[in-house]
This record gives sequence, structure tokens and C-alpha cells, in this order.
Amino acid sequence: MSVTSPAETAARTPFLKPLIWALILFLCVTPFLLIFAVSFGHKIEGASWEWGFSFANYQRVFVGASWPDEITFLYLQKLYYSLYYAVIASVLAVLTAFPFTYLMTGLSRRAQSAWLVFILASLSLSEVFIVMGWDVLLSNRSGLPMVFKETGLTAWLKEVGWFDTLREWGLANPRNVKFKTSVFATVLTMAYLVWPYAVILLYPPLSRLDRSMVEAAQTMGAGPGTVMRTVILPSVRLPLAGAILLLFVFLLGVYVAVTVFAEPAKQTMAVSVYEAVRGNTLNAPFGAAQAVVLLITAGIFLVLGQWLSRRGTS
Amino acid sequence: MILRVLSRLFLALSAIMVALPIIVVCGAALNSGRTMFFPPKDPTFARFHEFFVTETVWVKALSNSILIAFASAALAVLIAWPLAYWLWSRGSRASAILAGLGSMPFALPPIVFGVGLSFLWTFLGALGAIWAGVVSHAALFLALPIVTISIGLQSIDRAHLDAAATMGATPAVTFRTVILPQTIPYTVSGFFFALVLSFNEFIVMFFVSASSYSTVTLQIFNSLRNGYTPTMAVAAITFIAVSLAVFSAVARWGDLPRLMGAEPAKT
Repeated sequence: MSVTSPAETAARTPFLKPLIWALILFLCVTPFLLIFAVSFGHKIEGASWEWGFSFANYQRVFVGASWPDEITFLYLQKLYYSLYYAVIASVLAVLTAFPFTYLMTGLSRRAQSAWLVFILASLSLSEVFIVMGWDVLLSNRSGLPMVFKETGLTAWLKEVGWFDTLREWGLANPRNVKFKTSVFATVLTMAYLVWPYAVILLYPPLSRLDRSMVEAAQTMGAGPGTVMRTVILPSVRLPLAGAILLLFVFLLGVYVAVTVFAEPAKQTMAVSVYEAVRGNTLNAPFGAAQAVVLLITAGIFLVLGQWLSRRGTS
Repeated sequence: MILRVLSRLFLALSAIMVALPIIVVCGAALNSGRTMFFPPKDPTFARFHEFFVTETVWVKALSNSILIAFASAALAVLIAWPLAYWLWSRGSRASAILAGLGSMPFALPPIVFGVGLSFLWTFLGALGAIWAGVVSHAALFLALPIVTISIGLQSIDRAHLDAAATMGATPAVTFRTVILPQTIPYTVSGFFFALVLSFNEFIVMFFVSASSYSTVTLQIFNSLRNGYTPTMAVAAITFIAVSLAVFSAVARWGDLPRLMGAEPAKT
């Protein structure tokens, strides 16, 4: 058997290193540069677009197309919803994944392996399947609303008067509870989407946590709350914040869950990027400009997250 | 004692919550009619036959998914190996930057990368070609084999390398006899991580396929608006089964906790 090592290859073929550099720059960097370049172009009526150099697309994103006569914040509002859903869902996911991961890392290594298989399988499950599952669960004809009705929970809610509160929140129609379409369903699905990622991100710091410190604190009479506050939280504070930021960035680009669960008026920038590039409006440069805004937003938070997690490990 | 029970309860509750939509979809696959009900009406396995054998749309989509997943994962590992090796052996600033750039597509919102790739392939006239889809996924998931191979390389005991060098092994021999055997489990894990994620990926493939071919996830999305059919649920079951099989294999033959960032096992 003859195996060629990178070291050998590098010695024999001095072009391997430039080749890999070229490949990475071409595949991982040019797509982002192209988005920047295209975002300054403009649409030609019909279906195409041409190069250009104007900030018209950015102007449209921030203050509307007919500025300065009229100001609209339509696209900023979409960006706002992107941030809004992503913040709530990422915080929710990390806050619930934290106690889970803490308990899981306390189990035997065999049990941890089994849990990890389960978590990884749900992590890799496609967004389309997850949305499908929750859609069946939350849809009005089947799933939870039907369970509410059959078990008499709806009637009970009406009796105690909480039903009206739910209606105010948009979570009920006159007859029964409804979860589609709602902010609740959108955020729930998005949190579900990143929950396994949250576990995977929190797993290294929590599994490296020195358990003898926890035991020492307990021996000295500290209650669970005190242990959590004085021993565990201080050592994982930064990874926790880092995880929230990374998941937040990931959620900025969620598309399927938002199109299915969010009301038309509360859709996000990712959806509007899709509409412009592939959907019915077909204005690639404008889509690119929105993608750039999304990218810069993501980049800012990513750098912040990197910085936090680096401070956490050092 | 109460705390112990409560923590067990919390773990179980989390598992149920994670499994809930999956169970619903799986149950719906057994429906005999054209609509999805849960619990299923007249349970039958006819939908499985449709998905794997008779309905050409799904069979074609599945074969595309498999082709793209295997090819892109292999390509990602091939590119990741020299990257991870340079990072480990030299640790220079340049190799760190290179690895960072290679991981960038995975860290940023995939929809943005998808849009960028669709522009790139349009200029090259390859938009909608399957090989372009393969290359796109390889770039997207490059970060995974980089990470797993790096973990594998770091786990090599430097004393083994010194011993090999003292006994007169050339770098090539050391590579073949010490480095390669110890990193193979990690390389394979990286390959499978990339494979499973590529199998399940939707948005990037959506932009680069430009509707000229379809994968299972694309096909599911196209059918989303027309309502669900139990055949789609069969696809979901297949995908979950593949993921469970792959990760169980990684856990069985590799050190999954270590790959996920736990301290090396104390033996």
C-alpha cells in the first residue's frame, strides 16, 4: 500500500500550497465578495441586471426607494424581525440547553455518548423536516389545538377567562386556540432548531468543569442555588454568552421556519433576500444589498462571540 | 435525593421535547390515505414502497442527495487534510488564516453564502450543474473535517513522533506509521459529519441548484405549500435513520465525547 502524505506531496509538488490557497479563496471568499460587488449594480426591466456603482439599493434598504420625498422603513422592519426572532430563540435555546448539558455531563461517559448520538441526530435533521413536524403539531386541524379541544382545555380556558388573553396575543380564534401563524410558533421552531447546537456548544466547557469544586462546595454546606451561583455560573459565563451569540448569528439566516410560521407582515430579511434573488420580485442587486446588510450584522456579532469565547478559554 | 429525581425528570422531558415533532412525522408516514394525520389512519407501509421504488420524483431526488452528500464530503476531507496538517505541523499565522477562511462559510448565515455561490456559478455558467452543487457543499462543510482532523492530530503523543525520529524514520515513514493510523478515526468522523449535514442541507442547495435538479430536502420544500403527503414523512424517517446510524457508528468506533470537546478519557 502506498499512501502519499501531504508532507511528501508538499516536498515533491511545491504547487500544493498555492493550489489550496487558490481553492479556498475561490470557494470560500469570492462568493461573499461577489455579493458586495453585485449589490452596487442595478436591475434591468425584464429579468436581468447589470453592473454599476450606486448606493441606490442600500438607500432602498435603509430609507426606501423614493427617499428623500418619502421615508419608509419597510426593510429595516424586516431586519428588526430578523433580530427579534433570533434574540428570543437563541436565548431560549441556551437557557434550556444549559441545565440539560450540565446534567448530561454528570453522567457516565457511555451514557454521554448515547445522549450525544441522539443530540447529533436531531441537530443534523433538516430544517424542512423540523418545520414539517411542528407544522403538523401546531396546525389547526390536527395536533395541539385539537388536543386542547378534545381534552376540554379550551373550554376550561374560556371559563377562567384566559382565552381572551390568548386572543389578544393572537394565539386563538373565536372557537379554539391557534398557533399558526404566530410569533410564538416561529420562535418555538427556531429555538428547537438550534437547541442541539446549544448543547454541543456548551458541552466542552461544562464537561471540563471541575466537579470536585462542586462537591467541595456541597460538603461545606452550600445549597444547589449557591453552588450554581458561586461555582458553576462564574466559570461558564463567557461560553454561555458566546453560545447565544453564535446561535443568534445562525438564526439570522433561517428561511423555511419563518416563511411557514410567521405572518406575512412579520417576515424577516432572509425571506426578503430570497424573494429578490430567486422569488417573484427578481432584483438580484437589491437582494445582494440586503444580504450584505445581513452579513455585516452577522459579522459584528460573530466577532463579538469569538472575542468572548477566547476570553472564556484563556 | 429529590434533586436527583428532578434532574432525571428534566433530562427525560428534554428528550421528549426533542423527539416530539420527529415522532409525529414518523407516525404520519404510516397513513394509508393521501393526507397526513396523527395518529395515523389505517397504518400501512405502502408509502415506503412509493418513496424508494415507484415514485420516480423521490427516487431521483434521493439518488441526487446521496451522490452530492458522498462526493462533497469526500472533497471536503481532501481539502481539509492539508489545511489541518499545516495548522498542526507549522502552526504559522498563514495557516491559521487559511483555516479561518475555510471555516467562514459554515459560520455565517447559509442563505448569504447560497446567494454568493449562485452569483459565482452564474458567471462560470455552471449554475444548476450537479458538480457545482457538490463543490458548494464541500465549501460549506469544510469546517467540519478541519475541526475533527485537527482534534485527531492534537491527540497524537509528541513522544511517539520523537521516538520515530530518533529511530531514524523519515518524515514520510513517520506520517505513514504514526500520524495516519492515529488520525483515521477522526478523518472518518469528519467525513461523516459533512456527509450527514450535506444530506440534510436545504438553503444553499436551493440557490445553487436553480431548480434544474432536486434533492430530497428541495423536493420536500417544493411540496410544503401543496400540503403534506405521508410519502414526505417516509423521507424524514429515512433521514433520521441515516443520521442515527452514522453517529452511532462514530460513537462506537471513535471517541464521540472527545470529538465534541470533552477531556480525553482517563483509562
